[in-house]
Amino acid sequence: MVAVTVVCALLVLAGLASTLARRRIGLLHLWGAALLEVLLVVQTVLAVVALVRGERPEETATFLGYLAGIVLVPVAGALWARSEPTRWAGTVLAVAGATVAVMVWRLLQLWEATGG
Amino acid sequence: MAEPAGKRSTAAGTTAGGPGRVLVAVYGVFTLAAGSRAVVQLATRFSEAPVAYLLSAFSAVVYGVATVALARGGRRTALAAISVELAGVLVVGTLSLADRAAFPDETVWSGYGQGYLFVPLVLPVVGLWWLRRSRRAQGAPTDEPPSSS
Repeated sequence: MVAVTVVCALLVLAGLASTLARRRIGLLHLWGAALLEVLLVVQTVLAVVALVRGERPEETATFLGYLAGIVLVPVAGALWARSEPTRWAGTVLAVAGATVAVMVWRLLQLWEATGG
Repeated sequence: MAEPAGKRSTAAGTTAGGPGRVLVAVYGVFTLAAGSRAVVQLATRFSEAPVAYLLSAFSAVVYGVATVALARGGRRTALAAISVELAGVLVVGTLSLADRAAFPDETVWSGYGQGYLFVPLVLPVVGLWWLRRSRRAQGAPTDEPPSSS
């Protein structure tokens, strides 16, 4: 969770920086998005394992919705940013990073509402 | 109009280029947020607050239409959707504060979108502004000040 948040923050910063510098996104940004995606997939696997073992968050349906949605965000963001030839591509990635950060936070909130 | 010159080379005139791409991304996120929220609400506890949950679903549809219209350059559709969105967030926001009993559960637009950092309130304004601006860039070169650089 901490790792995800850190990578999100880095992605937001890198994206905004390239927009401010009026530059297009580079490989760095795409690697950042890829790393974030890998972490999210790992997180999803861990969460699914815990669910299968019988742990249930407060609102299972909501939790599953976030879990499924969150892995789509970096992919969609990266695709949408890659086809943008201007400096605004970085901001698109920043939006994706911020979205993932918020969603992770909500996931954690839901998970901890189990009370054990 | 003291527009900073120099970014004319971007895909000006389309609604999905340059800053518009960011707008589409944010709209996409809100379609996802409002849509999944509505699905969960409608599927798991529709009878508790049907009005609020149907509003959730409605807002998701509005966001979805706006996203697609902006992405594909459908100005009229985008204008309509964003106008509905602005009206929705203002009306629902006001009602949710004035009469809490009528809105027992949250929607994206409750309290002017305070659950979403007031982005739902800002987004339609930015959207309308962007539609205006990108049309000027596309249609009327007369609006451009004779650049001396």
